[in-house]
Amino acid sequence: MEPLMGMGVLAIIGAAATIAGASEDLESDVGSQSNPNSQVQLAPQMNYPHRIFNKAISGEPPSNAMLGAVGGTVTSVLMNAYGLSVVFAIAAGALVAALIHGTYCTSAYMGRSASQKRFRQPIYLDIIRSHVPVMMGFAYITTFCILVVSYLMTAVLAHPFPLPLLAFIWGITVGAIGSSTGDVHYGAEREFQNVEFGSGLNAANSGNIVRKAESGLRNGIDNSWFCAKFGGPVTGIAFGMTVFLSGWITAVFDPSTGTTAGWLSVIAGAIIVLALIIWNRRIEVAARNTYGPYKEDEVEA
Amino acid sequence: MIDIAGILIDNILFVALITLGGVLISWSVHFVPVGGAPAAMAQATGIGTGTVQLAAGAGLTGLVTAGAMINVTDSLPLILASGAVGAMIMISVTMIVGTWVYTYGVGVPPASAKVDYDPITKDRQDIYVSQGTEGHGLPTVSFVSGVIGGGLGGIGGAMVYYSLVNITTGLSATNLMGLASIFAVGIFFVNAVIPSYNIGGTIEGFHDPKFKRWPKAVITSFIVTFMCSIVGVIAIGGL
Repeated sequence: MEPLMGMGVLAIIGAAATIAGASEDLESDVGSQSNPNSQVQLAPQMNYPHRIFNKAISGEPPSNAMLGAVGGTVTSVLMNAYGLSVVFAIAAGALVAALIHGTYCTSAYMGRSASQKRFRQPIYLDIIRSHVPVMMGFAYITTFCILVVSYLMTAVLAHPFPLPLLAFIWGITVGAIGSSTGDVHYGAEREFQNVEFGSGLNAANSGNIVRKAESGLRNGIDNSWFCAKFGGPVTGIAFGMTVFLSGWITAVFDPSTGTTAGWLSVIAGAIIVLALIIWNRRIEVAARNTYGPYKEDEVEA
Repeated sequence: MIDIAGILIDNILFVALITLGGVLISWSVHFVPVGGAPAAMAQATGIGTGTVQLAAGAGLTGLVTAGAMINVTDSLPLILASGAVGAMIMISVTMIVGTWVYTYGVGVPPASAKVDYDPITKDRQDIYVSQGTEGHGLPTVSFVSGVIGGGLGGIGGAMVYYSLVNITTGLSATNLMGLASIFAVGIFFVNAVIPSYNIGGTIEGFHDPKFKRWPKAVITSFIVTFMCSIVGVIAIGGL
């Protein structure tokens, strides 16, 4: 393939992946999926009933892998067996995945809240009505973008894996990234804005999540409003960078032209990783200097 | 009737390579600094997600890059290297963005609670751990450990896929790749789950005392992957 063409396709893939990452994280903030949900689940037991949507269908990676696999399978079947156009097939695949996601969201909220009856946690029907369509919307965007990435990889970049499997793998990856990056902003900051900024969650504060909003009582949509300012976009950048950089090294040094180019692509990847290690070290040093230690140094003092 | 013994003897090298790949994956997971749910609340050092999830995310990204490489070259070292690089890119991007969130979003410096001094940078750690937590963020030693873990996992995944896709079979190329990739993902997950019993939710990297438990997981993975590889080789080779 022409290098310029490859780079163009890669740019579209990177852009789609960025959107997928951001919407994946915001979906998990609206519905409180993944690890920070442990606090939402714990709150009523500590006498803090709340109006925050409580679902953890599964960890984010399996959940998004399921969306990707369902969407990818429907897309494949519609394209290959019924000869539909790509755009329609991907839209239909993402729609089916979003509908299944909505079913799981509803049952997860009902089940989790009902199991907390003894802690006087109510089931809010208006929360289901307002939150589930939002989560389905985000799930649709995530699945659609992952399917676009997977389709372009199979059809244009000639990746050997079948489309549903690629969508499954990218679903795992986007979930792993969302759960590792954006969710920390929700779990460590948004849920605990009532404690002083600039520290991890003291175990003594577990379950004491913020329940009042800027106006009224806080719900999942309030949380996504806050996380959309930082957690969501950086998750998008992370997934976009992963998809883009892992493809970029072979787009620039095309291994099909020879083994040398293949090894150059490996070296380019290693240099990127090295640069990221150095960058992390620089941020670490800057953070240590800016924030300073929490305790006095007993040895030197 | 499928000639089971014949298929196994023909592909005995691939059985060995798949087993080796599985063992590598299992070992690699111990390097990945995961803090589980506590890390998502900046309550433990490491990445705020589960062991299996992150290892699988990185390793499968490596599988995607190795799968693309296998299409254009026969060189095993190159395929393994590309798997390693794909996984290393995924995990280091995830960790650097995690560092952004911990530093700028939560306002905590990276700090380990398991060691007083970072073995790589020699920086004091314990006084940078905020009260009531088991550390937070990704100090340099955890970052480097994560990169090593991602790389080993990528090599393991790529080795499993390379072996499966080269088994002598009557399948067409498209079907073989589909089947081999699904088996590879399955074997990856099996070996990503086994070490999580050692890790028990959180591990900071190779400097963590829990890291020393890896031989148990590796022996278990050896047995389990050996059985998986026999099933995989017979299933693909018999078609």
